[in-house]
Amino acid sequence: MRARLFLLVAAAIGAGAGATWLAANAKAARPTEPGPYLTLWVGVSLIGSGLASWRARPDNRLGPAMVLSGFLWFAGLLSEATSAPLYTIGVALEYAFIAGFIYIVVSFPSGRVRGTLDRSLVVAGVVGALGLQVVAMLFGRGSGLRCGGSCGDNLIQAFHDNGLALALLDLQRVIGAILTMTAVALLTIRWLRASRPQRRELTWVMLAGNLGLLALAFTVIDDILGNPLNATPAKIFFFTLALLPIAIMATFVRRRLARGSVAGLVVQLGGPTEPADLRAALATTLGDPSLDLAYWFPPEARYVTGEGRPVEVPDADSNRRSTFVERDGTPIAMLLHDPALEHNSGLVQSVCAAAGLALENERLQAELRARLVELNASRGRLVEATDAERRRIERNLHDGTQQRLVSIAMSLGLLESKLSPGHGDAAPIVREARTALTLALEELRELTQGIHPTLLVERGLPVALEELCRRAGLPAHLTVDLDVRLPDQVETAAYYFASEAISNAVKHSHGNEIRVNVSYDGRMLTVDIVDDGIGGAAVGPGSGLRGLADRVEALGGQFTVSSPPGRGTRLTAQIPCA
Amino acid sequence: MRVAVGDDAVILREGLSRLLQEAGFEVVGVAADADELLDLVERSEPDVAIVDIRMPPTHTDEGLRAAKAIREAHPAIGILVLSQHVHARYAIELLSSGTDGVGYLLKERVADLDELSASVRRVGQGGSVLDPAVVSQLVGRRRQADNPLQHLTDREREVLALMAEGRSNKAIAERLFVSEHTVEKHIKNIFCTLRLPHTPDDHRRVLAVVTYLDSE
Repeated sequence: MRARLFLLVAAAIGAGAGATWLAANAKAARPTEPGPYLTLWVGVSLIGSGLASWRARPDNRLGPAMVLSGFLWFAGLLSEATSAPLYTIGVALEYAFIAGFIYIVVSFPSGRVRGTLDRSLVVAGVVGALGLQVVAMLFGRGSGLRCGGSCGDNLIQAFHDNGLALALLDLQRVIGAILTMTAVALLTIRWLRASRPQRRELTWVMLAGNLGLLALAFTVIDDILGNPLNATPAKIFFFTLALLPIAIMATFVRRRLARGSVAGLVVQLGGPTEPADLRAALATTLGDPSLDLAYWFPPEARYVTGEGRPVEVPDADSNRRSTFVERDGTPIAMLLHDPALEHNSGLVQSVCAAAGLALENERLQAELRARLVELNASRGRLVEATDAERRRIERNLHDGTQQRLVSIAMSLGLLESKLSPGHGDAAPIVREARTALTLALEELRELTQGIHPTLLVERGLPVALEELCRRAGLPAHLTVDLDVRLPDQVETAAYYFASEAISNAVKHSHGNEIRVNVSYDGRMLTVDIVDDGIGGAAVGPGSGLRGLADRVEALGGQFTVSSPPGRGTRLTAQIPCA
Repeated sequence: MRVAVGDDAVILREGLSRLLQEAGFEVVGVAADADELLDLVERSEPDVAIVDIRMPPTHTDEGLRAAKAIREAHPAIGILVLSQHVHARYAIELLSSGTDGVGYLLKERVADLDELSASVRRVGQGGSVLDPAVVSQLVGRRRQADNPLQHLTDREREVLALMAEGRSNKAIAERLFVSEHTVEKHIKNIFCTLRLPHTPDDHRRVLAVVTYLDSE
């Protein structure tokens, strides 16, 4: 590694010195020549930044690409050489660095060329800058290829057709103009579409790249028009060409610096942390405000949020990416982040390593919460099953027993009317039976209403509560601030709560009246039952109040009792209506 | 009098038909659900339709809705809604569209042949019937100190309840073993105490009384 670096640096120094000397002693002195200072500036920038980027991100091809472009840049200056082979190589590679420039701009930040458009741009760059140049060299001599006659021989010239060679070079310029403008559009669109963290990476590279590309476009157009701008665009192009590698290097090195802030993270996580703190700390260190954490939940072999709710692993084509954190081979957590972080997996890995223990702690808590969520869900299912069973029993009683009893009452009525006066002593017995039957039906009616309030299902909570208050054994005042239907289980819970609370008040409060207040604020249903009795009610196991609490809490609600001795009882249920 | 019966339970609609025939009514037909009943009413134009409140398909308040539909299409046909539950709300809903020729009774009341024939007749003649259980719920709930009903005598409250059931002055007098004149005096006092608009019409006053009792 070190040896290769020395070799590259030595080669760069040699190439740079040679190129600068050639630039300084150029006999042609054409206006679009970079001159010694720009020659050195561009080459050093490309090779230096390339080496620094290579070191920062060994797995990214951009570093080597920049170094190669730097050498190609220097090689292009060989076109000033008098030796025929060097001259031939120099002319062939004169514009090869532009192909490198296009590749760098298009493939940033991953170093990979993806998609048809990107690939076409790079291919067009290579064909235009290198291919056409070589083909033109087959037909034209030095003079056809810009040399004023004082330069070396073109060793690969096979035909003598200067007109064709010039036409090919014109084609090269047109391709160059189209290519650069397309690349500008591509870079701009890419930047506009990028997420915030991605933009932070792209901005400087986009600016430097676009500036360089625009200057190149102007240079080409200026060249086509016969240099009316006196080579100024070329100078600007050469100057800005050097800015792109610096911008890229700055981006890569900044990532390395970000990795330095992992140390800060370790210190921060040493203290006690809250789940939100951990997420915020990781988001800051990774520079992705959209970062989310999910934790492994072994019982269901899936990821859950810190609150214990299930989380799906994002699809490959979604705009979120996931990084998995493991400890000793078992999964702990998943980081859900912006795709921009993918290009900085080193930082992500360091952060995951640093936060491993904190994440494991958090995972245990999330597991606990997930189990609680599961427990609540099963409690809810129990209540639901109970309600369904109550509905079934009510229905069976209504359609079966009640109807049979009514039909018996009808038969007795019929029998009664058919009794001739001769059976005088039978009539009172029949009437007695009918009265007993009426009582039985009354009791059955009370029972079925207690089991399942049909009115609640049919007319909603306010009407059902109104009926409940009508039937109450004490004067009950109802105020309702609710004009929508709520989910079945909420209405049912509120109804049974009120029903049980009212019958408690009637049985135990020794009060004179009951007030029932129902209000709904769009999220929370509050049912409040107040009596003016002796107070002292408690929620003991096995009491009716305990059952109420279970029902309300199964829906994630809250149940409170306030019952100071001698000052009445207030039972309040707050049920969220998600 | 011609009567149509709608109830989804066979034993009940057959039992009811027999009772009605026994009481001297002509049963023009029986129906197992609301649609059938509406058809039956359309075809045979009975004087009274007796309908179970809870019928297929949802087993909730189809009978009530059928009753409203019949009232709209044939205002002259009396309707007696039968229920197995005491739902004051449904009774009030039924009466709120007009008290002429409507009734709400608990199912087992029809087992008393006299009660049945009196109720069917009253509804058929454009009167109203409200089950005593519903009335006692309405009257019974107002027991707090500031309640105007507190200012009524026990006898006046009895009269009020019987009025709410839809009974005529004559029927109330018979029930309480007093003269019609006495009943009229009680009613005047009640309307005065409760500040209700007095109407000589037996039928219309039911609504006034029920509305009063239902309001806070």
